[in-house]
Amino acid sequence: MSDTPSSRQSAFDRRAFMVGAAGSALVPITARAAAEEARVPAAQDPALPVDVTLRVNGKDKRLHIDARTTVLDALRDHLKLTGSKKGCDHGQCGACTVLIDDRRVVSCLTLALAAEGQEITTIEGLATDDRLHPMQQAFIDNDAFQCGYCTPGQIMSAIACVKEGHAGSEADIREYMSGNICRCAAYPNIVAAVKQAAPEIMKG
Amino acid sequence: MTAAAPDPKMNMGQPVPRYDAVVKVTGRATYASDMPLSDPAYAFLVTSAIAKGRIDSLDLDEARRVRGVIDIVTHENAPRLKDSKLFSNGGYAGTTIQPLKSADIAHDGQIIAVVVAETYESARDAANRVKVSYTATTPSATFDSPGTTIAAAKGQNAQFKEDPKVGDFAKAFDEAEVKLTASYETPTQHHNPMELFSTSCAWMGDELVIYEPSQFVHGLKHGVAEQLGIDADKVRVVNPYVGGGFGSRGSMTPRTAIIAAIAKRLNRPVKLVPTRDQGFTITTHRAETRHEIKLGARPDGKLVALRHEGAEVSSRPDAYCVGGTKTTTRLYACPNVDSLVSIVRADRNTPGFMRSPPEVPYLFALESAMDELAVKLNLDPVELRRINDTTNEPIGGKPYTSRSLMACFDEAAKAFGWAQRSPQPKSMSDGDWLIGYGCAATCYPTQMGPAAARVRLQRDGRTRVEIAGHEIGTGAYTVIAQTAAERLGVPLEKVAVFIGDSDLPPAPVAGGSNSTASTCSVVTMVCDQIRQRLFKAVMPGQSLTDKAKATVGIGQTPATQAAKGDRPLDLEKAFDALGVGVVEEYGEWKPEGAPLDSFRAMHSGQVRLVGGDQMKDQIAYAFGAEFVEVRVNRFTHEIRCPRLVGAFAAGRIMNPRTARSQLMGGLIWGMSSALLEATEIDERNARYVNDNLADYLVPVNADVANVEVILLSEQDDRINPVGVKGVGELANVGTNAAICNAIYHATGQRIRKLPVRLENIEV
Repeated sequence: MSDTPSSRQSAFDRRAFMVGAAGSALVPITARAAAEEARVPAAQDPALPVDVTLRVNGKDKRLHIDARTTVLDALRDHLKLTGSKKGCDHGQCGACTVLIDDRRVVSCLTLALAAEGQEITTIEGLATDDRLHPMQQAFIDNDAFQCGYCTPGQIMSAIACVKEGHAGSEADIREYMSGNICRCAAYPNIVAAVKQAAPEIMKG
Repeated sequence: MTAAAPDPKMNMGQPVPRYDAVVKVTGRATYASDMPLSDPAYAFLVTSAIAKGRIDSLDLDEARRVRGVIDIVTHENAPRLKDSKLFSNGGYAGTTIQPLKSADIAHDGQIIAVVVAETYESARDAANRVKVSYTATTPSATFDSPGTTIAAAKGQNAQFKEDPKVGDFAKAFDEAEVKLTASYETPTQHHNPMELFSTSCAWMGDELVIYEPSQFVHGLKHGVAEQLGIDADKVRVVNPYVGGGFGSRGSMTPRTAIIAAIAKRLNRPVKLVPTRDQGFTITTHRAETRHEIKLGARPDGKLVALRHEGAEVSSRPDAYCVGGTKTTTRLYACPNVDSLVSIVRADRNTPGFMRSPPEVPYLFALESAMDELAVKLNLDPVELRRINDTTNEPIGGKPYTSRSLMACFDEAAKAFGWAQRSPQPKSMSDGDWLIGYGCAATCYPTQMGPAAARVRLQRDGRTRVEIAGHEIGTGAYTVIAQTAAERLGVPLEKVAVFIGDSDLPPAPVAGGSNSTASTCSVVTMVCDQIRQRLFKAVMPGQSLTDKAKATVGIGQTPATQAAKGDRPLDLEKAFDALGVGVVEEYGEWKPEGAPLDSFRAMHSGQVRLVGGDQMKDQIAYAFGAEFVEVRVNRFTHEIRCPRLVGAFAAGRIMNPRTARSQLMGGLIWGMSSALLEATEIDERNARYVNDNLADYLVPVNADVANVEVILLSEQDDRINPVGVKGVGELANVGTNAAICNAIYHATGQRIRKLPVRLENIEV
């Protein structure tokens, strides 16, 4: 760029968040305002809702949503399960971590369509009959959170960390819990919580 | 008991679990973007791709064709909003750069359009199809960039009133037997709280509800009302839980009034969840700073001359600065002190508070220089602090209300094993790892502000406390509940606390580490009003002397010293005597020395914090000492920090559990500030490069090993009724210097620019 004014055309904002689902394959679509004009076939318009059935915390949930909806946004905006949190929407922070078929997954990088037929467990599905899951109790006992925003993701990740067999030592826990950022930096307390809950979870 | 819940020492409350623990581990805590809305429209921001210039044209055709798009708001059709002044000039805003007002661009990432659609996906899609033509001019990015201007902070920032000085620095420095001159630099940093900077707005007729993570709901309410030109009583800000603040949510950003106005125009709730990268430019940040320190000393270590010159970068229109010389010129005894703070203006968004705003950069410079001086004098750095410890600050000679700095040094040194340090650089190692020990002092001003609260006590002991405080992770709910339970003598589980709602009685901004002192002081006062009413009912003949006020207990008040030994008041008898089922009291409290307009300001969302160095006859600070071990790999130059030990004294500790956690987090923040965090600036384009959580490095669990927090007993009756100094910002000060001092000890290399990365190690 020089000191003299120059003109610059930008087709996309440089911060554009590129959507993987269908963005580049689009043909021009008429605006909603001009609704009666000819529309492209439904299959090519990602904004046309699709039917998706998600199995969340043991219950089937039928949804009619934009094909580009992530599991995270489906949970939060469509199923009112707001325990899973959006911290980056890029899979960088771990706040959205849920279990899908018992594996920890960042739900912000998983399309709802891709999770059909799989068992999704969220933070809301852990406590039973008002009894906290051992990991939830351990987080309380060890003060493993402050603001609490990353906590649902930390807890889901911690449960998987134990089940994966990565809670054998503090060093292991630290390593395998490093996909979940806690900006309040409750890390030593999170390690202590995972250590406390691990034996009980392994017992089943 | 776990390590998380240390046993209380003298003048500490019980380490009870957090009031909000269960809702936070079950996902039931409702943060702003979790709040249910009826049929919301979704907003997505378009932000500027240039830092300076103007928008020539916007091509919205393709964006409008995206299915589900409702509206695209640009400067050409945006609702007209009134300007808001900067918070420091009697306004509410963190920046006076108001987007969507004209075609002008003042900084990179400025909001230039808002797309509103039926779904989040459509709004995002359409936002990415907005085409913008700019006329760009070359921006000035930061220090040394052509086109920046520099001027003294004094005279342009209303809150920076003077450059502290005393004695004759020039002469004393000239004549000093031992001299040190050194320059230091700290980088731009972004708070990056985990919760994004979301805003949801819903109108019911002419009444507006805003769900937004805020550290100051009353300020935001009044600020948005001012911008919209409506009565503040029509605006309500609600956020019972805030996903981290760290200063980023203390003042109003332009996004809120924009979203509110769009929601009004559409007659529909609008929900905005900006992206992480947009958060880097639509809010504030910690500005980059430069420092020059001059120290003159006698051979025995006594300081005779100290000069601290600092420079900070701000935006073109706003003279924001943190001016940490107010602290660094007063920390040690020294008869000749000089200082100067300057502001450099660049084409950037306006910076703002970030956890310990003045102290993090300014004490990095001073505490690094003290270590360098200790090396020159061949003195133990702890002893150099002891030699220059003082009970009175040197600028005005005012006494510290209490000062446990050296007690903190001694406790932390013992726990750390400082005595095992061999003073020579490069003299300690373990295999491929060079080991370094370092230390530094930390301090943070004690501040409080006017606050109001309403407390309701029922016959069965159930208690409801209402105060518009903020739960940003500090434990606000918990310490407020503990205060009421203790003061009223009711079981903790019977206390319900309501905060984070501007319909509740106002409390100050959750910033400057004032919250616990301010909110617990007013809650104590209002609980005492209830005690007095009950006392009068049961013992109508008795006079309400201060002694009686303090000693009449209700129920069990085991933790209240004053209530000990007194027979408990029978709650049911007192209610029978009063002839009511509920006693409710409202009260307003202001700290000593608060300005005359305090309460009026409080009710219009203005902050009037007092304390620190601004008190009339005294000065109030919390202190601490931090010791770190670093390990530098002699081949790869990898830097690790396996141990952080901090000892802190901050008056009364309301809850050792929440206090320890906050201080622990602070120590890790301090480590991060030394080794990880920096927002990289593309100097050609005045643009933040690493604007995401993968490239902006914050600590993860594997970066942290052993962190030890030692809470010292300290009683200070001269600061506020509860004797609380605050711990939110105490621990992340000085850590950066301690780590650089340890790196020097490990490698012999003095690094004066943060952050320190392996490429900076030359050994």
